[in-house]
Amino acid sequence: MKRKFDHSAPASSGLTGPKYWRSLDELADTPGFREHLAREFPEGASSMEGVDRRQFLRLMAASFALGGLGLAGCRRPEAHILPYGKSVEYTIPGLPLYFATAMPLRKHALPLLAETHQGRPTKIEGNPSYLPHGGATTLLAQASVLDLYDPERATVHTKGDAALNLGQVNDLLAGINKAHAGNGEGLAFLADESASPTRARLVAKLKQVYPRAIWAEYEPVQDEPPAAAAEASFGRSVKPVYRFAKARRIVSLDADFFHAEAGALYYAREFAKGRRVTKPEDPMNRLYVAESGFSLTGSMADHRLRVASSHILALAAALANKVLATDTYTPLTQGLEVSAQWIEQCAADLLQHAGTSLVLAGAHQPVPVHVLVNAINAKLGNIGSTVDFVAAEAAATSLAALAAAIQAGAVRTLVLVNGNPAYNAPADLDFAARIKSVPEVVRFGYYADETSALAGTHLAATHYLESWGDGRTVDGTIVPVQPMILPLFNGLSEVELLARLAGEPNPDAYAQVNTTFGEHSDGGKKAFEKFLHDGQLEGSAYPVVAVDFDPARSAAVFANNPAAPALSKDNLEVRFTVDHKMDDGRFANNGWLQECPDPMTKISWDNAILVSPRLGKELGIAPAGSLLQVARKEEADFYQGKEMAHVFDVTINGRTVRGPVHIQPGLANYTIVLPLGYGRTAAGHIGTGAGFSAYTVRTGEAPAFATGATLRNTGERMQLANTQEHWSMEGREIVREANYDGKDGYRENPTFANAIGIEAEAPPVYGDLKPEEFDRLPPEQKAKITAFRASTTPRGNSLYETPDLSGPGSKFDGVHQWGMSIDLNTCIGCNACIIACQAENNIPIVGKDQVLRGREMQWIRLDRYYSDGLADPEAFGAEGNKILPEDPQVSMQPMTCQHCELAPCETVCPVNATVHDDEGINVMAYNRCIGTRYCANNCPYKVRRFNFFDFNKRATDALYMGPLGHQSDMPELLKMVRNPDVTVRMRGVMEKCTYCVQRIQQAKIAQKRLAGASGNVEIPDGTIKTACQQVCPVEAIVFGNLRDEQSAVSLAKTQDRTYAVLGYLNIRPRTSYLGKLRNPNPLMPDYSTLPLSRIENKRKSGEKETEAAPAAGGKA
Amino acid sequence: MSAPATDQTAPAILAEVRPAVVPRRVLVEHHRDFHWITEKICGIVEGQTPLWWWYCLGVAAFVASFTVAGLTYLVSTGVGVWGHANPVNWAWDIVNFVFWIGIGHAGTLISAILCLLRQKWRTSINRAAEAMTIFAVVCAAIFPVFHVGRIWFAVLPGYLFPFPNSNGIWQNFRSPLEWDVFAVSTYGTVSVLFWYIGLIPDLGTMRDRFTAAGNVLKARIYGFFAMGWRGSNRAWSNYEMAYLILAGIATPLVLSVHTIVSFDFAVSLIPGWHTTIFPPYFVAGAIFSGFGMVMTLMLPLRAIYQLEDLITQYHIDCMCKITLATGTMVGYAYAMEFFIAWYGANPNEGFAFVNRAFGVYAWAYWIMITCNVVTPQFFWFKSVRENTTLVWVLSIFVNVGMWFERFVIIVTSLARDFLPSSWGYYSPSIVEIFTFFGTFGVFSFLFLLFIRFVPIMPMSEVKAVIPQADPHGADHH
Repeated sequence: MKRKFDHSAPASSGLTGPKYWRSLDELADTPGFREHLAREFPEGASSMEGVDRRQFLRLMAASFALGGLGLAGCRRPEAHILPYGKSVEYTIPGLPLYFATAMPLRKHALPLLAETHQGRPTKIEGNPSYLPHGGATTLLAQASVLDLYDPERATVHTKGDAALNLGQVNDLLAGINKAHAGNGEGLAFLADESASPTRARLVAKLKQVYPRAIWAEYEPVQDEPPAAAAEASFGRSVKPVYRFAKARRIVSLDADFFHAEAGALYYAREFAKGRRVTKPEDPMNRLYVAESGFSLTGSMADHRLRVASSHILALAAALANKVLATDTYTPLTQGLEVSAQWIEQCAADLLQHAGTSLVLAGAHQPVPVHVLVNAINAKLGNIGSTVDFVAAEAAATSLAALAAAIQAGAVRTLVLVNGNPAYNAPADLDFAARIKSVPEVVRFGYYADETSALAGTHLAATHYLESWGDGRTVDGTIVPVQPMILPLFNGLSEVELLARLAGEPNPDAYAQVNTTFGEHSDGGKKAFEKFLHDGQLEGSAYPVVAVDFDPARSAAVFANNPAAPALSKDNLEVRFTVDHKMDDGRFANNGWLQECPDPMTKISWDNAILVSPRLGKELGIAPAGSLLQVARKEEADFYQGKEMAHVFDVTINGRTVRGPVHIQPGLANYTIVLPLGYGRTAAGHIGTGAGFSAYTVRTGEAPAFATGATLRNTGERMQLANTQEHWSMEGREIVREANYDGKDGYRENPTFANAIGIEAEAPPVYGDLKPEEFDRLPPEQKAKITAFRASTTPRGNSLYETPDLSGPGSKFDGVHQWGMSIDLNTCIGCNACIIACQAENNIPIVGKDQVLRGREMQWIRLDRYYSDGLADPEAFGAEGNKILPEDPQVSMQPMTCQHCELAPCETVCPVNATVHDDEGINVMAYNRCIGTRYCANNCPYKVRRFNFFDFNKRATDALYMGPLGHQSDMPELLKMVRNPDVTVRMRGVMEKCTYCVQRIQQAKIAQKRLAGASGNVEIPDGTIKTACQQVCPVEAIVFGNLRDEQSAVSLAKTQDRTYAVLGYLNIRPRTSYLGKLRNPNPLMPDYSTLPLSRIENKRKSGEKETEAAPAAGGKA
Repeated sequence: MSAPATDQTAPAILAEVRPAVVPRRVLVEHHRDFHWITEKICGIVEGQTPLWWWYCLGVAAFVASFTVAGLTYLVSTGVGVWGHANPVNWAWDIVNFVFWIGIGHAGTLISAILCLLRQKWRTSINRAAEAMTIFAVVCAAIFPVFHVGRIWFAVLPGYLFPFPNSNGIWQNFRSPLEWDVFAVSTYGTVSVLFWYIGLIPDLGTMRDRFTAAGNVLKARIYGFFAMGWRGSNRAWSNYEMAYLILAGIATPLVLSVHTIVSFDFAVSLIPGWHTTIFPPYFVAGAIFSGFGMVMTLMLPLRAIYQLEDLITQYHIDCMCKITLATGTMVGYAYAMEFFIAWYGANPNEGFAFVNRAFGVYAWAYWIMITCNVVTPQFFWFKSVRENTTLVWVLSIFVNVGMWFERFVIIVTSLARDFLPSSWGYYSPSIVEIFTFFGTFGVFSFLFLLFIRFVPIMPMSEVKAVIPQADPHGADHH
């Protein structure tokens, strides 16, 4: 309220005598003069930039109050804020609170715990009480928190150009409700898939209210086997849930169950359980993979067959023939060019493990493949053992049917719920034009994207972290979706939208979720509170349905199947894959994901047309090997360290898309892979223009793979931001591998990892014995030493004082001595640790240009090496070094700061900015760092990251703009995602993995408080989980106290497979690795007695070649 | 300063064998006398400023502005404006640093070591060579200071320079970079002192000459810097002693500075850096490059100011021979690195060297070998040494080669080290190319000021090596 002063002239009636006026303006009685009179102060004195003095003081008071409460990082509150008259329950300033929620994605939800700081979610963790996931999460869930604070998300509801407030939105929805009241004629919905019971209930209600309305669902990628397959196999609507932990032999037919299948997280975790080997007596599963692309699943395969996706049916038929001992399916095997021995031995292995084997096919494969797989599993007795079937819901109307209805003019109002059909609908539907032809289109979505541009009305959706909802996990367990924060921009939640459209009396999302919960449980309020607290409703998993495979019923699907097509350079197969990071394109504006390199190609910020080395050669784009070949030939053309990709046109069925070509070893020879999810045109700053959209050539009939494609070189070149330029390990002992069984295998020589190459000369990891000396010891002494491996004798010698694990007395005698062990045998290379670390540690993104220069900041990198066993010792001119592997073995290795006890970075820092603490952590004092970068040079693992620019304060396109490009601060919204426990680094500062020191400190403080007078400040094992460890789906990363001999990490490190990368340097890394095992079948044609990387190692070190020949590899 | 030979009787045998009298090479030709020397050298300073000098100064200032602009941009924006990235975190910055600091070494070698060894031919080139040292150290110091991420902290006491502070944090005395700080700052200080002490008698001469010419202002200025030099016996005696002491102090610095600079690499564990041969190899390389630079500078100077009588063919011969010797040493070191890499049987080490010669940076390696090992071999031939144009061209090749030596050592080793997954390729950005280019302007600017305002040769010392300074000299034999 502003005081108004009345300085107006006295009323004329009261005046006698001459009239005096103060100025000519008064005489004229101008409006300006009147205003001047009304002002307390002269013009300009009381207003600053539209804020007057009082408002200013009010704002300042609020700011000070907020500052004092530690809420400085928060947005300015607009309403709903009250002083803490009474403290909010459980809230301790500075300590995070965790709430259970879930992230919905297609037909399953991931149960989560969200970490919130003063009411703002900053980090996502898996919900540990959901046992199938055990607290793990995925890459996408980790990155989803960044989407919440995306400055480019839709922040207003709009109709045309006008903004709508919530009341107007409600009126709009009520209007639709009224307009279509009765039978719902002319009303259509198109939604994405959902696993929400509340949505299912509301959809049922909608169908009831509008019986003639169309409810269609569309997902551009399919992650569950087609419903028709179950129908044909078992005569009922069921879907499989695989039990990988029980499976000793697994055959995957084009199924990327680590990534592309529904339940990938659960499957990866279960698979690892069957893979993990701690001692030679432990069993280990064996994985056969036949696939056209090169998936993470394929990279873990013990036997991998490169075969076109369109040949999978023939392969499945051939396998079924062998397993079922029949020749019923012989007609289907026409055109298959696969070694008969491969199929025969694979089938024999399956038969030997009847009941403990598992065959599965990719969700995108056609119905006959799934039926064959069901037949095989039924024959092997796997159904009910390694694969369970649960009831599946009936499918909604398809997109094609909706498009037909629109074309027929039967749709007057179209409500688009999530999804992005204008971008990702099959190209042959021309769905964008269909949307335009509908008179009224209401789009409900998180981004104002390609589809919103076509719709008259856009309703801003809430993020799942700000909405009420629910979902079902892959096994059917009902989980709540709880908001962590009030909607940042007055968004509307999906539940409320549907409830309003359905005319629910109480459309409030919370009430709706509560109602749904009531239908699944009878516990009332207490049970609901428990549900929210636990993050799951126990016992709500889908019941297993008994199924019976009937060959007679399924025979019909095998009629009229075309023979496997003959593929060549002129008749290529195109495989559309769901991208590891963009998924189907919905995460395109997420900088963390865009910058995360693809796990196989290592390309970030782009997708590429992936071609096999052979096709690359035939297209004439295989990189020219240098005349003086020092190292293995590059997989792609690199010019000055930048991948210069050839730009090609892919043409299929008359549609063409242009993109860069990347040669990818391990692909089927004539399959080209087009990752989906890129080429967005209205995604925002991050996503728009990254890559090309493969949707533009994808049709409804062939959504996953199609044949008949050709490639044409445009002659252009394009730079790809490839984070790993070199693919070969060069015969070095970096990832150390052995076969599980057989000669010189793990069971024969468990300590193989410490006896390879130059590393055999390395001091042992603990104690002072070399592996062979250690091996000669009697078992009891061995056990004693392993238990007491923390010997007082440090390995090697050093002039400097080093951490001593044995106890107090040395300079470093903390109660804890931290260490990490990474099991390379279970690591699947999924990249989740990279993003988890980025979210936890406030790591900025740098943009494509900087990644091209090699300045990516992620603290963890996933090194991916190919080996083909052909590396030659000769430095140059050797033939073996000029060959690009067509069928390589893959070795993944998460690489991050190893926290060396004798850290080479520490000795060279002139200012003591990187030093050791008394618990064995190599710590960075950011304030002390002046940025000489000597530490990064001297780090043999190259894991230190330097802030070449103020990445946190500059936009990625303003890095080079000198003083002009400097923003005083990062956008307010982006600040909110920062972890308040971790310093945000400025430019000129070196950074690297800290073992999540903030988590360690928090646990130490908590333990100190618990300990009280008892003085027991030792943190119990398992209390601290580093971000990478917590997210890891396969539990490959173990972290803990080395001084505690029974801690998980100590036990991991006592395993025989433990080794230190570059241990021979005597830098004593605290992170050690467990050697990788492969479990090949000796009877298979591609059997190699040693892993190919070991053969390369032997060849490079000039050892006589063993009888092991490099694998010929499967034929495609 | 040798004792008079007349006191001793010649051994009888001499009369019998009658050894041939080998005349010493004269260090100042055409029997020039004291006065001529004074006039010649002072004339450069006293004469009218030649037009070419103004042109050169303008060009030098313009080129130097690149460095200024480049560094301004760097500091305001971030080190990212240079081409560094993981894994090559040092590149042109440290290459240029080692290059410039190496160039400085010849100056100190000439003035200190040759002084102690009583190599009289040093007299006519040592002043300019020392000036070169100082200016090279200035150029060198730019890079380590500015290449750090937060220069504003780097120059604060308490970070790189020891300073008692409330945190009780000291420098890391294990770090070769810290050793560099001391080594280079000591080197710079001693070089300046040494140069300045040597200047004092000549500054006195200049003062007296300006006084006589009635130019009071210049007389005052030179007088101020001459520190009251009167040329008394006592002054000379003190001067000689001070000069000798500084020569003694500077001598180990010739060896130590580049040894310590080489520790930046030798102390690390990167294959290709982690080698014990580096200290002697770097020192030889530094002297090699330094003499290359001295010749690059002195030959044009000699031609412009007609100093052929002072910088004689004998001087050029001596410098060529030192270049030949050190160049061959460097070549030996290159070979020995390969031998040790093979003999050491460490595959990572072996790879680093094979990669150097045949990898992605092979072009740089072969430029280095051509310029550093092949070029000096021409100096075996007298005809080459007598062709000053050719000598000058070859000396430039030496400079180029030595720059590439540092490039090869630093960049190729970092670009491909232990884990192939993190191998990379470094290419410079336009900013660092111009910043480096600009340092030649900085150097030239300073050197032009030097030749214009400071006597470019120590007159007193040159005079001491002509026959007139030793009337009985002819009788020594």
